Amino acid sequence: VALGTEAAIDFDFEGYMLSKAASVNKALDLALPLVHPERIHEAMRYSLLLGGKRVRPILCLAACELVAGEGTLAIPSACAVEMIHTMSLIHDDLPCMDNDDLRRGHPTCHRAYGEHIAVLAGDALLALAFRHLADLANYPVGFSPELVLRTVAELSRCVGTEGLVAGQVVDLESTGLDEAISIEQLEFIHYHKTAALLEASVVLGAIVGGATDSEIVRLRRYAQCIGLLFQVVDDILDVTKSSQELGKTAGKDLASDKTTYPKLLGLARSREFAEELLRDAKLQLEGFNSLTAAPLFHLSNYIAYRQK
Amino acid sequence: APSSMPSFDLHSYWTSLISQIQEKLDTAITVKYPERIYEAMRYSVLSDSNKCASAIMCIAACELVGGDPSFAFPTACALEMVHAASLIHDDLPCMDAASLRRGRPTNHAVFGVDLAILAGDALFPLAFRHIVDHTPASHVPPQAILRVIHEIARTVGSTGMTAGQFLDLLPEGGEESADPMLVLEKKFGELAECSAVCGGVLGGAGEEECEALRRYGRAVGVLYVVVDDLLMWEEKVAGSNGPSGKMRNTASVVRAMGMDRAISIVEELRQTAKNELKSFQGCKFGDRVLPLYSFLDYAVERSFVVERCSKANNFLG
Repeated sequence: VALGTEAAIDFDFEGYMLSKAASVNKALDLALPLVHPERIHEAMRYSLLLGGKRVRPILCLAACELVAGEGTLAIPSACAVEMIHTMSLIHDDLPCMDNDDLRRGHPTCHRAYGEHIAVLAGDALLALAFRHLADLANYPVGFSPELVLRTVAELSRCVGTEGLVAGQVVDLESTGLDEAISIEQLEFIHYHKTAALLEASVVLGAIVGGATDSEIVRLRRYAQCIGLLFQVVDDILDVTKSSQELGKTAGKDLASDKTTYPKLLGLARSREFAEELLRDAKLQLEGFNSLTAAPLFHLSNYIAYRQK
Repeated sequence: APSSMPSFDLHSYWTSLISQIQEKLDTAITVKYPERIYEAMRYSVLSDSNKCASAIMCIAACELVGGDPSFAFPTACALEMVHAASLIHDDLPCMDAASLRRGRPTNHAVFGVDLAILAGDALFPLAFRHIVDHTPASHVPPQAILRVIHEIARTVGSTGMTAGQFLDLLPEGGEESADPMLVLEKKFGELAECSAVCGGVLGGAGEEECEALRRYGRAVGVLYVVVDDLLMWEEKVAGSNGPSGKMRNTASVVRAMGMDRAISIVEELRQTAKNELKSFQGCKFGDRVLPLYSFLDYAVERSFVVERCSKANNFLG
């Protein structure tokens, strides 16, 4: 069955997002108890539990459901990718990096707790992500340790110098230059800084759900498209929305001479590019059952048409 | 007093393993685009003055329980990566603000604070990936590999080394200043404990053996830094193992509890560690327990200077 408008009408996307976010929030709360030393755990919980749309963990659960139907298997992976995401935000916001004061409408971690605690809270969330992911106690009895190992390998690839960190390094190196960077460099940054973790989210869910290799290839491509899409839309929103609407500093890209899609391509061509990426993402979902693919289908729409 | 055990040439064992580990680390972190981050990671991981004590402990524990050292090498390298990562972050201006580490400029002094943070952030996941990619799956079951990853992640995390650094940074004399022994256990004991346990798990140790290795490792890790502390206070340290600046004043047991108490702590920890090794005697283990005994003696006596064999020596030997 091809993905048509019918699925769009029948599927309660908002209800889906809310119920999944609630189960993710509950799992995250349980995964990070407030133990000794309290202050470091408070800082971790502050950044992890306060707000956030939970797009990455929901992608993870949705990918698992798409191939297996049983989404709870992906809860440890879902928690792990959100911990990694939070960790990267904490470190990106530091004074020596993007120097941000506001995140998800609240003071950034280093603003609330101090710089040293922010560095440590980030490190600890990174460690906790792998601790949680690798713990067989978090899976049903008899669950395949080989599959869990594959998720560890996939996540570690997406976080390090072939993922998040590479994107952040090239981003730092290209900030403050006199001339705009090339579209290839801009894509490198976003494929690594943003898409890599969305890719890990989808692929981790698919792995624990028992996806075939060819299913993983298609879902990986889907995630790369929506990852880049996410950033193109972010760039567009930065020039079209206010700080209050976004819950973070708007117009920052313009002020900091940062290269963005609107700057390189213009607003109209950026919007076209977003449409192309959305089409490509949806193309990858063809061949899956349209009913079980509905969450990922609507998630791509959500990323494309979000207002903040 | 020296151990009554048959003599074991720890110096040769150690230096030869360091060469092998550094070679493996060298190929594990090859420079590619974006080059600077790889250079920053290599700068801290491939330091010539790195004694690789965690890696040695891990390999010796693996061999002790009958595992081939090749089972433990990837994890040994991973331990060096996470150790380097935590040192890079500990040295940052917002933490210990150290400008020197192992006798040369700290990572952030060379590469900048932003790169130093990212180098640390990249070394943690690289460590996990290195274990998954390189541990021989034909000899080590996936459950054991997962357990090792879990063990390392717990050790570097919010109840382990991160907690230690946090407690170490609490203002001195403040309302909630930390117990110096707790700081040492978290900052140094847990990594040594983790190294020993991981070696045991990879070598196929049973639960009781793992627990004995856990207690041995923890005792040796703390013992090692208390001796560092004592030596620093006595100012009679020789060679390149001299004062490392690895302890802030708040974590100085000598300063907090006095020289006599520090010396008795060393003796107690040595006894604890020795007792744990008693369960590894008998024909099942043979002489394989000797490296861990002499490692313990070395931690107290510092009878030689650990140096990396030059490549030429290594190939000739």
